[in-house]
Amino acid sequence: MERLRYFTQRTLFSMRQSPLLCSATIGTVAIALMLLAFFTLIVLNIQNLTREWSQDIQVIVYLDNVPSDDKLQQWRDEIQQYPDIEQVRYISQQQAFDRFHKRLGQNADLLEGLMPEILPAALEISLKEIARSREGTERLIELLKNNKDFHNFRYGQEWLDRYDAFIFLLRLTGTMAGGFLIFATLFIVSNTIKLTIYARRDELEIMGLIGATPMFIKAPFMAEGACQGVAGALLALGGCHVLYYFFLKKGLAALLTTTAAENIHFLPIEYQAGIIVLGLLLGFIGSLLPLRKFVRI
Amino acid sequence: MIQLFNVGKIYQNGAPALHDVSLKIPSGDFVYVTGSSGAGKSTLLRLLYCAEKPSRGQILMGERNTTRLKSHNIALLRRDIGFVFQDFKLLNSRTVFENVALPLQVQAASRQEISTRVYQVLQYVGLEYKLQRKPLELSGGEQQRVAIARAMVVNPRLLLADEPTGNLDHDLAVEIMEMFNRINESGTTVIIATHDKEMLQRFPRRTIVLHDGNIVSDSAPAEIAASEEGL
Repeated sequence: MERLRYFTQRTLFSMRQSPLLCSATIGTVAIALMLLAFFTLIVLNIQNLTREWSQDIQVIVYLDNVPSDDKLQQWRDEIQQYPDIEQVRYISQQQAFDRFHKRLGQNADLLEGLMPEILPAALEISLKEIARSREGTERLIELLKNNKDFHNFRYGQEWLDRYDAFIFLLRLTGTMAGGFLIFATLFIVSNTIKLTIYARRDELEIMGLIGATPMFIKAPFMAEGACQGVAGALLALGGCHVLYYFFLKKGLAALLTTTAAENIHFLPIEYQAGIIVLGLLLGFIGSLLPLRKFVRI
Repeated sequence: MIQLFNVGKIYQNGAPALHDVSLKIPSGDFVYVTGSSGAGKSTLLRLLYCAEKPSRGQILMGERNTTRLKSHNIALLRRDIGFVFQDFKLLNSRTVFENVALPLQVQAASRQEISTRVYQVLQYVGLEYKLQRKPLELSGGEQQRVAIARAMVVNPRLLLADEPTGNLDHDLAVEIMEMFNRINESGTTVIIATHDKEMLQRFPRRTIVLHDGNIVSDSAPAEIAASEEGL
């Protein structure tokens, strides 16, 4: 209990004692985490947008003949048993004709005199989000080929390739840049904290001489680092929030060619909590690294 | 009892500091370690409080072989040792009370115990009326008394002092030496590294003379007096 009181007092006292160094550490964490939060915000919104695009990923099976109701139901049941199937929709010849008519818009008169029977009926099979990729669709087609009635498929191969490449690039960029940002942040924070510890190296030496164990010496510094990390993270989130509302929301909407700014969202609560935990860890580890060098008994 | 067996120390840069030093210091003894600059006085003290490990030989403090101690146990060992340095080594951002209370806080003493003990020891060194002052507001002699109070607050079994009077004028140095004598009379082993010959003559005690890392003499007060008379 006495130790806990001592650590708490030392942590608060140290931060009050060197406001400039304390502010520098908090500021560094805040700027570094704000960059990270910004980056995460952009990546998440792009991912959300691509999720909307991916809803268009589906396999269309063109049918040679209009199936009977029983046959159709049999096919539906069969397809629903395949893995990762979200929905199976039957598009009749009339529905296909109407859709085509609508898409032609002003040129719809081209269809005058033609009957719906010129277009084939089809089954539109959409996949669950996890399987919306080239691999997922090809796996489905392999299964569909087991049925002799299905032999004419469309699934937008070229578009899927581009989509897969884009998602791969996004994930790769996200992982690499995110990892780099975290390491850069740790490096900067660790060096800033090293300065504060260097300024107090006499204290570390004296503590060692009077019989303080390494943990006793380190604990207040680590607690201080963790507090500064959390304070920096809260500042980063606050700053990010302000910038998001005033600039980022409209800017991102324009960048992502999304007409509605409402489709652009701030970081979900779990990501915000993650940034705070990251701030805490950065402060904690950022203190621990230089302490290992300076605290030698 | 402190015992050194064939202790040698060579620093990482290759500079030899001590050669084959063996000695015994019984509990309650008062010992000067003297010699010219670079003779190895400070190194010997640093070995005693485990700031350095010997390159060879063994050091026993009581029953503990300090050459084999891990960091945590070195910290525990130091709780039985008081330190006084030429440059005081006080925390200038903390008050006199806080500086003296530090060793007790490290040992997780209660607030009541800390208050009582710190006040007692500051009374002992005559600084009880400067509890809330910061070290830089005090004279050199007062700062050294604060350092002695900090060393004494845990009733150490051993007091190590490295040139404790080096920064003080004559009168203050005498005052500090008298304080060390009183501490020794209460049963604490005192080892002082100094090259202040005047203090050695004024307060004669067992004196170990080092030269180039070797013990060249280890004499009791009577022998010193006899040798001085012979001169």
